[in-house]
Amino acid sequence: MTKLWANQVLTIARLEVRKAFLSKRGLWVYLLALFPAVLFFGHGIDTQWKRKQWSQQVTSRSLVESVQIGERAADVRLKLGKPLRDFEYRRRRDGNDESRRMMEYFDGQRRYQFHFVDDLLKDKSDQALASLEEDTQVFSGMFQYFYLRLAIFFGCLGIFMNLFRGEMLDKTLHFWFLAPVRREVLLVGKYLAGLVASAIIFGGGTMLAFFAMLWALDPADVQAYWQGPGMGHLFWYTASAMLGCVGYGSVFLAAGLLLRNPIVPASMILLWESINGFLPAILQKLSILYYLQSLCPLPPPVDKNMPAVLRLILAPAEPAPAVWAVLGLLGVTALVLWVASQAVRRLEINYSTE
Amino acid sequence: MSNEIIFTEVSKFYGEVLGVNRVSLRVPPGITSLVGPNGSGKTTLMNLMCGLIHADQGTISVRGISPRNPEQLMRQTGYCTQFDAAPRGYTGYQFVSAALLLHGYSPAEADERTWRAIDRVNLREAAPRKVAGYSKGMRQRIRLAQSIAHEPDVLILDEPLNGLDPLVRAETIALFREFAARGKHVILSSHVLQEVDVISDQVILIANGSIIAEGQIHNVREEMTEHPSQFLIRCPDAAKVAALLFAEDHITEVRLHADRQGLLVLTRSRERFSELLNQIVLGGQNIESIVQADANVDSLYEYLIGGGR
Amino acid sequence: MAVYKRGYQRYEGPRTGTWDRLMVLPRFSWGQLMSQRLVIAVLIGAAFWPLLCGIFIYIANHIELLAGFGQGFQKFLAVDGSFFKTFMIVQSTFAIGLAAMTGPGLIAPDLTNNALPLYFSRPMSRWEYVLARMIVLAGMLSAITWIPGLLIFGMQVGMAGSDWFSKYWNLGLAVFLGFAMLVILASLVALASSAWVKWRVVAGALVLGFFFVLAGAAQMMNSIFRDSAGSLLNPLYLLGRLWAAMMGIDSPDESEPGLWACASALIGFCALMIVVLERKLRPVEVVK
Repeated sequence: MTKLWANQVLTIARLEVRKAFLSKRGLWVYLLALFPAVLFFGHGIDTQWKRKQWSQQVTSRSLVESVQIGERAADVRLKLGKPLRDFEYRRRRDGNDESRRMMEYFDGQRRYQFHFVDDLLKDKSDQALASLEEDTQVFSGMFQYFYLRLAIFFGCLGIFMNLFRGEMLDKTLHFWFLAPVRREVLLVGKYLAGLVASAIIFGGGTMLAFFAMLWALDPADVQAYWQGPGMGHLFWYTASAMLGCVGYGSVFLAAGLLLRNPIVPASMILLWESINGFLPAILQKLSILYYLQSLCPLPPPVDKNMPAVLRLILAPAEPAPAVWAVLGLLGVTALVLWVASQAVRRLEINYSTE
Repeated sequence: MSNEIIFTEVSKFYGEVLGVNRVSLRVPPGITSLVGPNGSGKTTLMNLMCGLIHADQGTISVRGISPRNPEQLMRQTGYCTQFDAAPRGYTGYQFVSAALLLHGYSPAEADERTWRAIDRVNLREAAPRKVAGYSKGMRQRIRLAQSIAHEPDVLILDEPLNGLDPLVRAETIALFREFAARGKHVILSSHVLQEVDVISDQVILIANGSIIAEGQIHNVREEMTEHPSQFLIRCPDAAKVAALLFAEDHITEVRLHADRQGLLVLTRSRERFSELLNQIVLGGQNIESIVQADANVDSLYEYLIGGGR
Repeated sequence: MAVYKRGYQRYEGPRTGTWDRLMVLPRFSWGQLMSQRLVIAVLIGAAFWPLLCGIFIYIANHIELLAGFGQGFQKFLAVDGSFFKTFMIVQSTFAIGLAAMTGPGLIAPDLTNNALPLYFSRPMSRWEYVLARMIVLAGMLSAITWIPGLLIFGMQVGMAGSDWFSKYWNLGLAVFLGFAMLVILASLVALASSAWVKWRVVAGALVLGFFFVLAGAAQMMNSIFRDSAGSLLNPLYLLGRLWAAMMGIDSPDESEPGLWACASALIGFCALMIVVLERKLRPVEVVK
């Protein structure tokens, strides 16, 4: 009997996974999953192009660093020569019009920006053109703020909700209920199909974005990174993405079975996850995102644009150990799927109410 | 294990709306027609039999198997539903073969059964096309193919003749007869009462969620004593025969045909009418033919559901 | 007997005007929407912020009530561009939520239940149908955006006097035009989502996703490229910049996109939604 169930689960998964992968309506899931990889790849191309362009106009670091706050724009230009970029603009602050200017220089490794207000240097900043350390921080931020919270969340919402609720709306669910298959087996088969599709799409997207992040960097830095923490980082990011599909997938599958409008609980979960960082530690642990972020190798950078008030009350809880995070997620998933199995046994075909 | 389909005091509510009310039925093998007006509960009964919906009260057994056990039930049952849609993107072939794969057939066997079922409904050329692009009749046929592909013992069909042209209709009816001849259940609902009359072994009349009558057509008719039976008699001297008939108190109405060689007779007692006819013939009158005019589903429907006439 | 022989006469009397015919759809839709408790709850909830702002304006114009508080606190009670921008940001959140709730139910059910042939077999073009649906949303969203916005602007003008008005007259226009942009964008997004996915539930998620996922994507693009051009993908940012510019409080960094770029991006989004509607609103779907 178990062999029969296993065969049926695989048959259902095979039949459904094709729909999940190849449906035209699923195109937006691919866009969500691959968008970061495209951006990192574009950033790589942009970096290479800039390196090539700016290398023709290099200014020595010692000269650049010798510029002091308060110097006049003309003096700076005289000292450093023609900048890479030099533009002026006007800005109103507190009712007063200010004349502003920004000049950019490149020392072969770093880009320097000098900001002038009313012709006097007010601020200077520098940034590496390509920095592994910065890029891994950016990747961490991208992964935890965009990929986990939005891309995987909405992607799983679309894929897993489609499995039962979508069939109800298409008036095709009876096709599965009229097969000699236990309802629980049907549930597991469909869940497996959604999981395979989402895990491959988002796990693959994570790996692609990771490689896209590294490809334009200095090969020596990249080599050292691979020999150091790189492999581990890649593994845990991919694992976190796939486990996100496991957790969110089960929740949205159950929501699609239990509720006619699963968007309401999805919105509530999204809101809960968004304010998670501001909640007491014990409440933070009641969140799939908490466990997923515990698996991420680097903490997310704090948003520079976040208002100071919010930054004060932001208090992320101590991350859970990886083993507990994985076991916790799998346990929650099993519980949710059990609840869903009870719901699917009671489910009736009544398309007129949809 | 019983070879009947048994409903015992089954009720089903859709919220406050009654689906079926305290239905008790025993359906033997053969072709059984569910007849009733729209919204009477025919589809509800069929969905209950297949486990697509669950009864609020009562029990159902389909050849000894509960509809709560789809794993066993759907091995022996095929249901051609009224629902028109197929899973998104499925071709006709996939629609039939996917179901067979779920039965546990090997891919080779599923393929062979699929083509056999598709050939039985004459859809081989259209099989590689998507079901979403089929006409109404083609969708009906592919659903039929899917429901018979695994050679079920119980075939349930919700208005299976809808959208079929006369030729395909005849072929489909022949298919039902073939199934029934092998001792299987064929349960179908239809509004085409003339066809129900011709093909059904027994009929179940349902209205407002309650069973009005069930059984073989002529048995049902015999039990309806409140409605006089109608007979058509052809005879050369119709006026004389009419006069003889009028003398009996069980004859309620006699109408002479325009050609004066036929009569429509209404009688409250079929047995006494039969004896009377014997006497009339032995008395020297020539009677060419006698046919009961209302031993058909159409008449049963009119009497029991349509208010009678 | 053929009907015409019985004296059938074609109707020759006055016909309902085009706009009256067009307004049939909104009237029915409004009736349906206003019977939903959740919609009523959102409309009532959206009234609280304007009410609080009205109280704020009253207090700001009756400073003697706060004689006991310090000058710093009294300065905080300034009714200016920042005040109205904050008002608009909060109300726009309600507006987007309301669009996500009500918009998907306007087109998706017609597509799912094959009702479009019924509409287009009447004297109604596709664009009249879209316009009628937009009027539904525009009406609902106007009730919680520019209408209360202009009311509190009027309240401020009434209390503060002509001196304040002569200095800040542009704020009233900014409130109206700014909310008009939001209403048009949110309506088009809701209708396009409804036409694209056909499922009401998913269309609602798509509306929310358009505003919030794009914001996240824009932020991600900015951080990866170490630039601000990605902000052109964020409709909320675009609206905010244009509102601030109309109110005279726009103060972007030099790396941020210019106003023309923001306006063009917004127009681009609207054009994309119109293209989606044009592609999806067909009375007959051909399956190959």
